[in-house]
Amino acid sequence: MITLVKQEMYKLGHKKSTWAVSVALLVIMTIFAVLSKTHPKYWGQKDMFVTMYTGGSWVVLFLIAACSSIIAMEFQYGTIKELLYRKYYRGEILVSKWITMLIYSIYFYLITFVYSLLLKVVLYNGSFKLSDTYANNQSIIQSQFLSLIGQFVSVWLVLSLVLLLANIFKSTAAAISIGIIGYFALSVVSGLMFVLMQKWNWLKWNPLNMMNLPAQLTSDTYHKMTLLSTPEMVCGSLVYTAIFMAISYVVFKRRSV
Amino acid sequence: MADTILNVEHLNKNFGSKQVLKDVSFSVQTGHIVGLVGPNGAGKSTIMKAVLGLFNYASGKITIDGDSVSPTSHKAMDKVGALIEYPGIYPFLSGMQHLKLFSKDATSQDQIDDIVDKMKMTSYINRKAKNYSLGMKQKLGIALALVNRPKFVILDEPMNGLDPQANKDLRTIILELAKQGTTFLISSHILSELEKLIDDLVVIDKGQIVYTQSMAALESGGKKLLVVKTSDDAKAKDVLAQGGYQLDKAAEVSIVEKDDTKMADVIKLLSDNGIDIEDVQHVHSDLETSLLALLRNDKVKES
Repeated sequence: MITLVKQEMYKLGHKKSTWAVSVALLVIMTIFAVLSKTHPKYWGQKDMFVTMYTGGSWVVLFLIAACSSIIAMEFQYGTIKELLYRKYYRGEILVSKWITMLIYSIYFYLITFVYSLLLKVVLYNGSFKLSDTYANNQSIIQSQFLSLIGQFVSVWLVLSLVLLLANIFKSTAAAISIGIIGYFALSVVSGLMFVLMQKWNWLKWNPLNMMNLPAQLTSDTYHKMTLLSTPEMVCGSLVYTAIFMAISYVVFKRRSV
Repeated sequence: MADTILNVEHLNKNFGSKQVLKDVSFSVQTGHIVGLVGPNGAGKSTIMKAVLGLFNYASGKITIDGDSVSPTSHKAMDKVGALIEYPGIYPFLSGMQHLKLFSKDATSQDQIDDIVDKMKMTSYINRKAKNYSLGMKQKLGIALALVNRPKFVILDEPMNGLDPQANKDLRTIILELAKQGTTFLISSHILSELEKLIDDLVVIDKGQIVYTQSMAALESGGKKLLVVKTSDDAKAKDVLAQGGYQLDKAAEVSIVEKDDTKMADVIKLLSDNGIDIEDVQHVHSDLETSLLALLRNDKVKES
């Protein structure tokens, strides 16, 4: 299994896009940090820090692309046969890809987090302290860290779906589009969803509602809209992730290539 | 049996309602080069994929070196190298990176360099594979199948896109490896190339095995003809028939060669009768002729 993960990392590390998006992420974060320094009216300094200078949103995009391509590229390039006819079990091949993506997502969130701290120290050393109260009686750093954890959990809910779709459609394009639409559809439909949930209580368990986890973690009122407690939401997210992963696993094992 | 490396027994496989493999059974002797031939869509790649554990099959049994093979049982695959359909290539990696990626821990850099050298890929092995030509990709695919020195190698249409020199190089490599004990199962449409390699032949048509024989048996089964071009073919035929020679039904004067047929006698008989001989040719039925005859006559009917 370690060999397989190493091989996946080798492939990932030799793709230009892997490094290009990392650089792009840092550049974009720097731009927003500078913008919020020069135009604090539009981009609040504390808000920008808590959202990691928009880094979190970009990481989602990059991870959706990476997850769909790590599965779909094997079908696209015809390398799936070379991967599968070896001595390893099929399940191992798939799990090695999941582990690689888990490592990749941790890498992304880590550099985003560290770089946002760096930007704060360099650009805003005097303007606010990390221990200042932000919202919900949490300090700024607490808020940032909690929303990061929340994002990580809900992003993996999306990624598990992307991994499943890439597996079913064998196409990068389909998986990426549905993943991105799914993730950003939340803001569009959440208003309607909250209304419907008031009417039909069980709807609160739908996967889109789980995506509100990062918001709920940093707010003391959000649970009144999501109708779920934070632990319920975390469990719900993990259960959905597990379900999508399990379907992926079954689909992958049964596929004829 | 210890001396067979691959055993396929009663293999059946359906795609939906269409049965693509019907009760396929054959075995491959260790150290032999076996040709798997048949028309397009006969099921060659399907058999190869089943042998590699890429396909679920309805019923049957496949064993490699005694270990059974299925999509959930891949232990035996450690001894196998393969190229199926077309080589799978990552465009963002170089040829060398491919070989490193797929080589086992036990495979040394020397072994990698050795196969690169033998396949004559040195000049472009460090270039990104997306810029490779069809033939270069094909060579890389073959190198990937061979790099870990497997005991059993499956090559599906390995000559695809190779130039004549590369074809010859490939033949040399295969024959050399076979001499060292590597077993090969090779499918190809280029029968003239295949003929120069294989020890045994498995012919498949419409999902069924229609023929399994050694090449030696196939060759000895074919007719050998002595084709004579004369100044008066009609007369020559009469003379030869009267002289007790068996003639093949053909426009030319073709004598079926037997062990006691001597060319000198034929020439003498014809010249004694005042017929001038312009040309004499020995004609052996090659693999292509034998195979086409076989497929024409086989009793497999479309179901």
